[in-house]
Amino acid sequence: MTVLSNPTAQAAAVALFRDFLLTSPLAIVVVLSLVVGLVMVVLFGYTSDQKAIGIAKDQLKAHLLAVRLYRDQIPVVMGSYGKILRGTGRYLKLAFKPLLYVIVPITLLIVQIDRYLGSAPIPPKAPFLLTAHFAGSDELNDVTLDLPPEITMTAPPVHVAASNEIVWRLAGSKDGKYEIRIAAAGESAAKAVCVGSDLPRISTVRLRGQFWRRMFTSAEPALPENSPIESIAINYPDRNIDVAGYAINWIWLFFILSMVAGFVFKELLGIKI
Amino acid sequence: MTRLCGAGALARLRASGIKLQDERCCQLADRERRLFAGKSARAKQFLLIALIFFPALAHAYAGPGAGFAVLSSFWAIFVAFLYSFYALMTWPIRQLFRFIRRRNAYGKATFERAVILGFDGMDPDLADRFMKEGRLPNLAKLRDKGTFSKLRTTFPPISPVAWSTFMTGVNPGKHNIYDFLARDTSNYLPFLSSAEIKGPKRHIKIGKYSIPFGKTEIKGMRKGTPFWHWLGNAGIFSSVIRVPVTFPPEKFQGVLLSGMCVPDLKGSQGTFCLCTTRASSGKFREGGVRVPIERKNGVCRSYIPGPDSPLAEKAGTELRVNFEIRPEAGLKSARITVGSEKFTLKIGEYSEWIPAEFKAGMGFTAHGICRFYLKELSPEVEVYVTPVNIDPGHPDLPISHPVTYSIYLAKLFGPYATLGLAEDTWALNEHVLDDDAFLAQAYGNHEDRERMLFDALDKTKQGLCTCVFDTTDRVQHMFWRYLEEDHPAARDVPHSQHPKVIQDLYERMDRLIGRVMEKIDDDTLLMVISDHGFKSFARCMNVNAWLHQNGYLALKHGKTESGDWFEDVDWSRTRAYTMGLNGLYLNIKGREKQGIVDPAEAGALKDELRQKLDGLVDPASGTVGVTGVFVTDEFYRGPYTDNAPDLLVGYGAGYRASWDSVMGKVTSQIFEDNTKAWSGDHCIDPRLVPGVLFSSHKFIEEKPAIVDVAPTILKLFGLALPAHFDGKPWRLATKTPAVTTATSS
Repeated sequence: MTVLSNPTAQAAAVALFRDFLLTSPLAIVVVLSLVVGLVMVVLFGYTSDQKAIGIAKDQLKAHLLAVRLYRDQIPVVMGSYGKILRGTGRYLKLAFKPLLYVIVPITLLIVQIDRYLGSAPIPPKAPFLLTAHFAGSDELNDVTLDLPPEITMTAPPVHVAASNEIVWRLAGSKDGKYEIRIAAAGESAAKAVCVGSDLPRISTVRLRGQFWRRMFTSAEPALPENSPIESIAINYPDRNIDVAGYAINWIWLFFILSMVAGFVFKELLGIKI
Repeated sequence: MTRLCGAGALARLRASGIKLQDERCCQLADRERRLFAGKSARAKQFLLIALIFFPALAHAYAGPGAGFAVLSSFWAIFVAFLYSFYALMTWPIRQLFRFIRRRNAYGKATFERAVILGFDGMDPDLADRFMKEGRLPNLAKLRDKGTFSKLRTTFPPISPVAWSTFMTGVNPGKHNIYDFLARDTSNYLPFLSSAEIKGPKRHIKIGKYSIPFGKTEIKGMRKGTPFWHWLGNAGIFSSVIRVPVTFPPEKFQGVLLSGMCVPDLKGSQGTFCLCTTRASSGKFREGGVRVPIERKNGVCRSYIPGPDSPLAEKAGTELRVNFEIRPEAGLKSARITVGSEKFTLKIGEYSEWIPAEFKAGMGFTAHGICRFYLKELSPEVEVYVTPVNIDPGHPDLPISHPVTYSIYLAKLFGPYATLGLAEDTWALNEHVLDDDAFLAQAYGNHEDRERMLFDALDKTKQGLCTCVFDTTDRVQHMFWRYLEEDHPAARDVPHSQHPKVIQDLYERMDRLIGRVMEKIDDDTLLMVISDHGFKSFARCMNVNAWLHQNGYLALKHGKTESGDWFEDVDWSRTRAYTMGLNGLYLNIKGREKQGIVDPAEAGALKDELRQKLDGLVDPASGTVGVTGVFVTDEFYRGPYTDNAPDLLVGYGAGYRASWDSVMGKVTSQIFEDNTKAWSGDHCIDPRLVPGVLFSSHKFIEEKPAIVDVAPTILKLFGLALPAHFDGKPWRLATKTPAVTTATSS
């Protein structure tokens, strides 16, 4: 408490929070993994049949030990192997109910976090591709692109009639979030593009319809149903987190760290998983 | 991974400087775009689909909880696959190796498998009676098809002695077990005859802790080689479950779970705990402690006493596990909390096995398990706690071979009693448990062992499978009083109301035999044996009192009785003394620390004692209390005869050494009634309590003895008999075993 009331310590804590925890993807993933590890383990503990899981796990271990203990008796070894397979099925079945409870929040969380940590914004002056996919090939002939002043086209568009697409090569001149408008057959649609180096919320694609795909990939409202444009996508570069010299996608890091956190918390809380 | 590939492709594209105008560029751009825009989406869509249709795969994404589940499952399968693969691949090599070393292990065997069920204390007379009454149909089948005979027991007829002889095929002079207890000649105090446990010799002192440095030393005192070692050497696998005096377990080819003589976590042979709010200064004679319960604001708190702290400087600093009892409304049940375990118990109900972790600090923890029995909640609160057994899933001392076998059984069936004398006879003797509570405990343990036996039968299709059930012994010890009309321990219950506990016991064992018989074929030999029979224990005889009154044992001046373990005995004037169940020792000069009997005169003194004690009559009833006194020199042979008692007292039927005499106490009375629940016994004249022998195939042997079992089994498996064996193999009537030559081991 004394430490927290110290103005210098307070300033340091605020600076740490602002400059590191909120801006460092690594810090965000680490903190998030710890919290998720804890919450999910607790949730698993409450929603699962702990006793049955304990028994199922013990039985699995027993059959594993049987393979070792009776290794000279091939029928026993094979029988134990069969029991291990059956036991694994039983164990997974027991883990299914808690899975149903945890999968929805965790999936939504992953999707949301991926908006921030999945892709990096386009670096200033770096070229990127904007791809618009149309309902039919007729629309390709009457398409206009309306760019904000900070975005410039660096090459003429490419029409890919076979797949009803037009690809533009663009570049942003300075940091910011901009709106690019595409007009076709009298209808227009906008697509946001992020240029810079921060942690903006990025939407790699804007879609028409396709509810499930939109849910997982797009952070923008759906294109109007009557729009001739089916999708507008930007090829944002992947955001990788540097860990001990290795560039890792956040989701793997999150997966590993949350598992480690879960392992630690399950031991501390005495929850059987 | 795919995301990284996508980034790599873009980089390559950029590096190549290719313009995007041409078609190839468009294709590449398209691929790029698809890789970038579609990958993440596809992964997540895959996740969703996986969630719905392939929950196992989806687990991996569902956070740590279910993620662990899927990982452990795959890990289990992976490890199992590796093990199985290893076992399959190396099996021919191992078989070849064995073939080269020992030829074909089963080539000369008469049977593929031998199953020996030990029913400790099953009495041939009772078995015969119940078979004639038609109560034991399965044993009767064995009798009719195979063998039913009395099985001569050992001198003395005590379980550790007899089972040691069973497994080694030798007399006690060669296996060194003469009783549960042996005496230390340097101080006349007893020690456990079967095993010696010594803590680490060196300690490092850090602050208030004294940290043990080195291993706990566990030394088996039983000598001789169990016959399953000979089988193992020949490549024959054995499953050995709960055979007495197999602690500490020895290495051999097979699996073994130790039985009688495994200590509890305190190192004793079983110390129960009665937690009570009743104020009482009375101590239990043996086997239990009374622990106070503190009641405050409706919550009762107490503790389970555990082993001494290995870190404490002072010996005897006991570790404890605290627990809490919260009586529930109506006072018919209570919520009990022990560490992280919480459970509800009704009055008169046992808990499951509850883990009890005794933490000494610095990471030292002793792992035990115990069961709670709620006796009373109003007006007083009383909870009985079983002795704290070594946790079989986390054994701090080796209780099986290999160590993983006890863990395997614990994982397969859950925790189980590991204590050698797991049925708490002392608690019933001391009225801490009533008859029903004792039986519930005994049969609970029995069911665990049945499960272990059937698992061993399933796993051991070739070789030896042997399992000893203690229930027969314990239940007969405690309920013999109801078999008789006028047993001193059951005089308060009219004979017509005596429960048929022993009859039920025999019927239960018969049903077990029936289930075992369903599991075996004609290539399996089934033997049911007992180490001794049973007789009533209605009258106690204090041989120390007799020795005192007849001038062989002297007390210090002014004393008419002694305390336990010869507290007031004047050794300078004592020529003979007794401790334990049958042994009588001379106080020999040069052997005992304060010995006075010249070794040259020992023979004469033995004869004198034999003459006087043999045929001793109980003046109260006029019956003979001692039907035989045996000079051990005459029948013990082997390297350990020096440790044997000089004489064995063979009590008559209905008699046994008194509780005080066993504990080296001299009383003023020689004979007295036995009013304890422990009302049947077998530590008497061995000729009166033979065991039983049933077998599925007929043996031709007039007077089979327990010492013959080991040679018989070795012969049936076609092995040569070690020359030091005292037993002789029985001849099989229906199958002729391969001819074997007895050679030296």
